[in-house]
Amino acid sequence: MKPDLSVTLGSLRLRNPVMSASGTFGYGLEFAPFYDISRLGAIVVKGLSLAPTHGNPPGRIVETASGMLNAIGLQNIGVERFIEDVAPRLADAGATFAANIYGRTVEEYEEVARRLSGLPSLAAIEVNASCPNVKEGGIAFGSSPEGVSRLTGRVRNATDKPVWVKLSPNVSDIGSVAQAAEGAGADAVSLVNTLVGMAVDHRTRRPKLSNVTGGLSGPAIKPVALRMVWEACKRVKIPVIGIGGIQTAADALEFLLVGASAVQVGTANFRNPGVCVEILEGIEAFLREERLSGIGEYRGKLAL
Amino acid sequence: MPSSRMRTAEGRIVCNEGHGGIFYRLEAALPDPVGFVPGQFAMVSGWPGNDPLLPRPLAIFRSAAGPKGKGTVEFVYKVVGRGTALLSGLHPGAPLSLTLPLGRGFDLGKEGRLYWLVGGGVGFSSVFPAAAALARKRADFEMFLGSRTRDQLPPKEWTPGGTAPGRLHLCTEDGTAGFFGRVTDAVTERMGLLSASEASRLTILSCGPWEMLKELALGAANRGVEMQAALESHMACGFGVCWGCVVALREDEKTAYRRVCKEGPVFDAREVVW
Repeated sequence: MKPDLSVTLGSLRLRNPVMSASGTFGYGLEFAPFYDISRLGAIVVKGLSLAPTHGNPPGRIVETASGMLNAIGLQNIGVERFIEDVAPRLADAGATFAANIYGRTVEEYEEVARRLSGLPSLAAIEVNASCPNVKEGGIAFGSSPEGVSRLTGRVRNATDKPVWVKLSPNVSDIGSVAQAAEGAGADAVSLVNTLVGMAVDHRTRRPKLSNVTGGLSGPAIKPVALRMVWEACKRVKIPVIGIGGIQTAADALEFLLVGASAVQVGTANFRNPGVCVEILEGIEAFLREERLSGIGEYRGKLAL
Repeated sequence: MPSSRMRTAEGRIVCNEGHGGIFYRLEAALPDPVGFVPGQFAMVSGWPGNDPLLPRPLAIFRSAAGPKGKGTVEFVYKVVGRGTALLSGLHPGAPLSLTLPLGRGFDLGKEGRLYWLVGGGVGFSSVFPAAAALARKRADFEMFLGSRTRDQLPPKEWTPGGTAPGRLHLCTEDGTAGFFGRVTDAVTERMGLLSASEASRLTILSCGPWEMLKELALGAANRGVEMQAALESHMACGFGVCWGCVVALREDEKTAYRRVCKEGPVFDAREVVW
C-alpha cells in the first residue's frame, strides 16, 4: 500500500512534508525545468518586501567547511510584481506556495501581508523574523520573545492566511521565542534560519563578505538546527517546520522524528536542483520499508 | 539534434588529464548530447562528501554526440582551490554530477562583423568554443591569447580548426612566446591602428581575469568598439536562485545587481560597472 505522505499544518493540508526553504528556491518557477514543482508539499518563495530591494554588494557568498555563508541582503522583486507576474504562474503550475515576507518596520510587514491576503492561491505567509544580513530584515524583531510576539500579533491581525513565523537560531532560548510566536497567534513556526557567522582572509586581512558577517547554512548547521527544533517541539502545540542542513531523506526524517510536522530544504537545492524530489521519494521509500502507513506513525516518535 | 535544454545529468569521466602541468582537460560521457552556446557553463562536482559543499562552475569547452544517442562534454580548468584540486584527482570511470548548459553565452549572431577573441589565462576555455562557432560560420575573426609565460598558453592541439595562421596572436608577460607583454597591451595597440569604420565593425569577445577585462573594456569604449565579456564569480547554484554571484550593471542611469549565472556570464562590457 502507498504510504500516506500528507501532513497537516493547522488548517492547511499539504500533500507531503517536503518544502523548499525561502531564499534557496527563487520564486519556484526556476525549478520547473528540473521537475514538476507541484510535487512539493509547498514552495516557500524568496523573501518579499514592499518595494523591490537591491541587496548587498558582492561578495555575497563564501564557502565554509560543509557549509556556506551568505549575505545576499534580501534582493527581491517586491510584493507587487510577485502578485502580478509570479503567483499566477505558480498557480498554473499547480504548485502549493507560501510567501516569505519581511519589512523594515512592523507597518511594512503588515502591508506586505495585507496585499498578499488577496491572493486566493497563496497557502500561507511566512514571516521572516530572522534575516541576519539586513538590520531591518527581521532580526531587530526576532531576537527576543517580546519582539517576535509583537511582530507576529500585528501580521496575524493583518491577514486571514495561515501565518508561519520563521525563527532565528541566534537566540539564547529558542523555546521562549517559539512560545511567543504561538501566544501571538502564529499557525506554525519554522526554524532555523541561518546562524550568524564570519569569514576573513588572513593574507589580504579583509572580510570575505561585503557585509562582513553572513548567515551560515548547509550540513554544518544540522546538529544545531535539530536540537533547536526538538526544543521548540517540546514547548509549543502549534506545528513546527524543521529547517537546517537537510540534504537527504534521512536528514528530513530526523527532523520529523524529533517532532517537526514538515521540513524545508534549503542550501541543498544549490548543489543539486533535484534534491527536494529525491528527499520526497526517499521518505516514501523509507515508510514503505518500515511498513508505516504514513508520516503520522513516525513523527515525534524519538525514543529517549 | 543535441538538446540545449537546461538539465541535471549524471555523467561518467572519460578523461581527466593534466596538460603542461597547469590545465586539466575533463571529458565526461553523458546520457544524451548537450547543445550549448559558447560562453555557457556547467556546474560540476564529483568528489565525495560535503566538503567543499558546492559544485564548481566550468565553461563548456566542447560537446559532441556519441554513439547510441549518448553524448560527451569537455571542460578545461585550472586548479585554483580545493574544489578544482579535488576535481583534478578524479579518475576515468568516476561519476560526475552536472547541471548544464547554464547562463547566457556570446552573441555571435550579427552578420558582417569582425571579431577579436581575447582570452587571458584559462579564459581561452570560453573563447575557443566561440572561435570554433565563428569558423563554422566562416565569420571573420582573429584571436589573442595571453598568459604569464609560454608554458601557461593552451596546448597547440586545442586551438580550434579554422583559426588561420597569422590570425592567432600569442602574448606572454615574460616574452617567452609571441608578443612581449600583456594581451591587453597587444589588443589596445592593434585597436589604435583601426580606422573609425573598422572600429565600428569590430566586436571583442573576451574572457579572463577581472582586471584584464576591465582594461580591455575601457580601451574598447574609447574606440567605440563593441565588447562582450564573459565574467567569473563565486556562485552557489549556477541557475539563478541563490543570488550570490551578482555583478553591478548600469541600467538607465541606475545600477542594478544582476546574476552572473543567469543574465550572464556574458555581458555587454559597456553595461558592467568595472
